[in-house]
Amino acid sequence: MTNEVSTRSGIYRETFAGGLWRENPVFRLLLGMCPTLAVTAAVKPALTMGCSVIFVLLCSNIVVSLMRNFLKPHLRILMFALTIATFVTICDLFLKAFQPRMSETLGPYVPLIIVNCIIICRAEACASKNTVFVSIIDALGMGLGFTAALCVLAGVRELLATGEVYEIPVLALKETGGWFVPWAAMAMPVGAFITLGLLLAVVNAVTKRKA
Amino acid sequence: MTKIKHFIRESWLLIVSAFCFGLLIAVANAAWSPRIERNKVEKLNRLMSGLLPEAASFKLKAKVEIKSPKGQKTTSSVYAAVSDTNIPVGWVFNCEGPGFQDKIELVVAVDKGFGKFAGYAVLSSNETPGFGDKIKRSYYRNQFKGAPVEELGLVKTGDDKKVDSEIVAISGATVSSQAVVDIINNVVVQIKNKMQEKAVEK
Repeated sequence: MTNEVSTRSGIYRETFAGGLWRENPVFRLLLGMCPTLAVTAAVKPALTMGCSVIFVLLCSNIVVSLMRNFLKPHLRILMFALTIATFVTICDLFLKAFQPRMSETLGPYVPLIIVNCIIICRAEACASKNTVFVSIIDALGMGLGFTAALCVLAGVRELLATGEVYEIPVLALKETGGWFVPWAAMAMPVGAFITLGLLLAVVNAVTKRKA
Repeated sequence: MTKIKHFIRESWLLIVSAFCFGLLIAVANAAWSPRIERNKVEKLNRLMSGLLPEAASFKLKAKVEIKSPKGQKTTSSVYAAVSDTNIPVGWVFNCEGPGFQDKIELVVAVDKGFGKFAGYAVLSSNETPGFGDKIKRSYYRNQFKGAPVEELGLVKTGDDKKVDSEIVAISGATVSSQAVVDIINNVVVQIKNKMQEKAVEK
C-alpha cells in the first residue's frame, strides 16, 4: 500500500517537474513559439501571457479529462479546439475588461492562444488519457514551465532594450548620465530570435553536462 | 432513421458541449461587456483631457466623413470641449490613416477657432518599437502643440523647439513621422470646413 502511494506521488512529482524542466515547452519541446517570440519584449506582457496560458491549459485539461471516456477518436481534435477556443475567448474578454492596457499590448496574441500547440499537445498527450488530478498537475507544471521560460526570455530582452526589468530601472542609462546605451534591436523580433537561440544553447549545454 | 441515430451517437458530445460553451461565453460577455465599453470611453476621455487640460467635459457634436487621398472613406467623431463654466475651449476629433506597418489611430485637439493645434495623442498604433513608436513620445508630440492649423510640413533637420508648421522628423522613423503629419493634414482641413458649414447653417 505504501509502495503504491509512493509511486503515485512519484508520478505526480514527475509530471509536475517534467513540465518545468525535462519537457519544458519552450526550451525542450520548442512548442508555442509564436507567443514566445512575439510578446517577450518586456516582462509584464510575458507574465500576463503566461498566466493566460496557465488558465486556458488548466481549464481545457480539466474539461478534456472529464470527457475523455466519451471522446470519439475522429472527433477528438474538434472537441479539443472547441474547448480551448471557449476558454481563450473568456480569458480575452477578462483581459479587455480588467486589464485594458495589457490587452492592447498583447493585441492578437491572446486570441492566438487557441492555436498554441502546447495546449492541444497536453490535451492529446495527457488529459485525454489521464485522471483529472494528473491533468491538473500536468497543466500547472507545463503552464509554469512556459511562464518561467517566457519571463527569462523577456527579462533578458527588456534589460538590454531599455535597461529596466519589470519596468524597474536596473542599468544607469547614458541619457541620464549613466553608461548603458539601450539596444533597440532587442525590443524587435530580431532580438527575440537571437536571445531564444542563445538561451536554447545554454539549456542544451546544461542538460548535456548533466547527462 | 438509422442514419440519424448514427449521427447523434457520434456527435452528441459535440452538440452538447457546443451549447454549454456557447452559454458560458454568452454569460461572460454579458457580464463584462459594459466594463469593456466603459474602458474604451475612459481611454478616449483620458487622452482628450490630456490634450486640453482646461476642458471639463466633451460633447459629441458631429460625425464627419473623411476622404483619404486614396479615396477611402472613414468617419471621425468631433467633440466640442467646454470648460466647467461652459465656455468652449476647443475641438477634439479622432482620425486614422496608414502607418509604417499598420493603421495609426490618433486623437487630435485644436483650439476653438481652428487656429492652432493643441496637440495629438495616439489611440492605437503598431509602429516599430524603438523607432516608429516614438510618435507616442513627448519629443515629437510637443512640436504640434501651438502649431498653426495649416498644411504641416516634415523636415529631417531643424529646430524642434520652435513652434511652427515645420515638424522635425524622428531620426530613424521618417515614415512614421510622415504618416502622423499626413493623417493630420488630410483630416483637419476637412473637419474645419465641415464645422464651418455647420456653423453657417445654424
